[in-house]
Amino acid sequence: MSGVEGKELRVVGFLCNWCSYGGADTAGVSRFKQPTDLRIIRVPCSGRVDPLLVVKAFMSGADGVLVSGCHPRDCHYAEGNFYARRRLEVLKRFLPFMGVEPGRFEYTWVSASEGARWQKVVTNFTEQIHNLGPLHHFGEGDGSGGDR
Amino acid sequence: MSNKGRFLATDKIPGLLKRLGGTYRVFAPVKVSDTVILFHEFKEGAQLALNKQATLPPKEILFPQTECLLSYTYHKDPENLEKSEVQVEETLEALPTIIFGARPCDARGLMVFDAVFNDGQWRDPYYKARRKATTIVTILCTQPENTCFCTSVGGGPTNTEGSDLVLTPVTGGYFAEPATEKGGALLQDEAFALGHNKADEAREEREKVSLESELELDGIAQCLLELFSTDFWKQVSAKCISCGACTYVCPTCYCFNITDETAGVKGERIRTWDSCMFYQYTLEASGHNPRPTKVERYRNRIGHKFSYHPTNYEGMFGCTGCGRCIKACPVSLDIRQVLREVKVHG
Amino acid sequence: MEAIGKLREDIQKELEDVEFIIGWEQGFDALHATPLFIRSQEDIDRLIWNPLCVHNLASYLPQLKGRKVGVLLKGCDSRSVIQLLQEGLIQREEIVIFGISCPGVVDLSKIRARMNVSQVKRVSFAEGNVTIETPQGREEFPLDEVLATKCLSCQYPTPLIYDHLAGEALSPQRPADLLYKEVEEIEKLDVKERLAHWERELNRCIRCYACRNACPLCVCQDYCAADSRNPHWLSQRAGIGEKVMWHIMHALHVAGRCTDCGECERACPMDIPIQRIRKKINKEIKALFDYEAGVNTEDTPPLYTFQMEESTIREKDW
Repeated sequence: MSGVEGKELRVVGFLCNWCSYGGADTAGVSRFKQPTDLRIIRVPCSGRVDPLLVVKAFMSGADGVLVSGCHPRDCHYAEGNFYARRRLEVLKRFLPFMGVEPGRFEYTWVSASEGARWQKVVTNFTEQIHNLGPLHHFGEGDGSGGDR
Repeated sequence: MSNKGRFLATDKIPGLLKRLGGTYRVFAPVKVSDTVILFHEFKEGAQLALNKQATLPPKEILFPQTECLLSYTYHKDPENLEKSEVQVEETLEALPTIIFGARPCDARGLMVFDAVFNDGQWRDPYYKARRKATTIVTILCTQPENTCFCTSVGGGPTNTEGSDLVLTPVTGGYFAEPATEKGGALLQDEAFALGHNKADEAREEREKVSLESELELDGIAQCLLELFSTDFWKQVSAKCISCGACTYVCPTCYCFNITDETAGVKGERIRTWDSCMFYQYTLEASGHNPRPTKVERYRNRIGHKFSYHPTNYEGMFGCTGCGRCIKACPVSLDIRQVLREVKVHG
Repeated sequence: MEAIGKLREDIQKELEDVEFIIGWEQGFDALHATPLFIRSQEDIDRLIWNPLCVHNLASYLPQLKGRKVGVLLKGCDSRSVIQLLQEGLIQREEIVIFGISCPGVVDLSKIRARMNVSQVKRVSFAEGNVTIETPQGREEFPLDEVLATKCLSCQYPTPLIYDHLAGEALSPQRPADLLYKEVEEIEKLDVKERLAHWERELNRCIRCYACRNACPLCVCQDYCAADSRNPHWLSQRAGIGEKVMWHIMHALHVAGRCTDCGECERACPMDIPIQRIRKKINKEIKALFDYEAGVNTEDTPPLYTFQMEESTIREKDW
């Protein structure tokens, strides 16, 4: 369903419309070299990212998920990313408890002008996911996914 | 039937199930945690739990919680993207199956399913094929639980309806008697020894079991109709939390939902268990819901089991008295108490 | 005066002014209590109070909003009410609270795990012991061994909010450092073992949603995201993926609101240890925001607010 072949992994990025999506665009326009694993989903604000969207992405086959928004105090909607920071930090601490390795989920802030920062974030994150390899999905952990 | 009886020693059971596993899918009650017993496909070394009622009835072997009815793929015509074809694949899996260690209430539960899915005007090919391929080996109950009321709804701890092979617990094992040809065929396995000397003990064991019929259900179908639009249901459903536990642990609840689960160009049409306790169960496309609160939903559960079902199916209750709904209920709502009150008020 | 006597007296006084008062009565056998909706003097006589009164009756309140009712609450249950009040999901003036000081309630699955309870005839509690009589004989053991896990680290034996209080106010008797014991056990496993653990345990889930419907903070009920077809959070399948997704969904929806009453786990007909999923989040919320849900009606749940500078959050350095 992904259409992804070879060594590429499935990395999903939720990027806010006002900053990080612009930042990724800036990186592209500036022709900064970037890994191609990341699939970007543009959202109005990092505050719009329900932690469940991240979980759903993992459940649907993502090997890594990144959320990126405006820097704190720079939110287009004034405070969306402040809420996001709390929620996403809780999520980040929670996911490993359920068996998703630390590092598979990250959140960060990239402004529209920070093409170079975006390049660094996406490169580091993709590398981090490659080091972890494909995600072990529920049902693959110990083969007990079949019987109740 | 006793002259055909054989003796099955307890220590021969794992071997028997292993050998049967060569020809059949064999399901038996297995202890999966400190408190939970489930029918699992038997694997060597599994901890069999034959002396207690399983947490869930074996109904999901014949009526899985999720079952794929068909799968489909859309193909787009690359020349004309408005044109697409759908390729449909039917899935019907009915492998020879043995359910070992059902209880009489579980076996009778399948008779309710038979009436709905197999014998009536509408036949369900999926259920029908599986039912035909399944042999039920039932262990009779010698120790009814506090929650058991099978005798009140037409069954009993030693009832053999719906079973193919019947096992009575005796010293050192079980006395096995065929109830159908299908069940009799299993007796050819080497695990079954000659059992003449156990026949009397088995008969005594069966006679010893007593579970008085505690409910008087004559005329209950009519009582329920009379109570339909009264405040009675507000009172009895007050403590219900409207979860689906009672319906999912029930050996006779057969309601289902059918949905198409599509991802990209591929998908499956699946049938899944549904529960009349859920709001979505009767939610109509218009947004109207004829059973908007737990009051109507609880009324339906009781009404269906003790009025509509017996009216439609020759007096057969949609309940075999296994008592699992009482045990599983988070608020210990007791269906027997509700039925008593129906008789008082109706 | 014994707690039950005081309760009956107070209930009698208030009964006229409310539609009903929710308490407990003896259930289908000696081992089970069941919620009781008290509407008359006869009902008052059926009221019981003992360690079998496990249900958190606050769970009924959100759906009764707009009606004046009474409710019996243990210390832990009272936190659910405080949390609901915080969020405006119930109205204080519509509820008469009969608080009860509680030394602990039993966990029936712990009893089921240690003996056959299918034919219990009599249960009694005395001097820190519980005695259970069955046709096979009688068993006596320390109550502490079968208390609900939450009781073993209880910090709120006395209700935090009430109109009437039965029993003497108790100070916390249990060590607070046991609060996250089960969570820490999972944390000790490596990540792969945790995945295997949840696969094994959650696989038994039958998606009956008893955990949701018993949860006092699950106020969406009939409009739960888990049942939505659009957005399609969950398919109708009963696969392990759906089951895990559901439990994470529940845990995240009560993040910062969960008062650790344990109703989700208690209600589970498959005895799945699901409370620790919610508890893990409580632990992180406590660490991050020094916050405990349901102790002060004036508080704001930590995920409903923020600080410009979060001193406890250390973001990733790229």
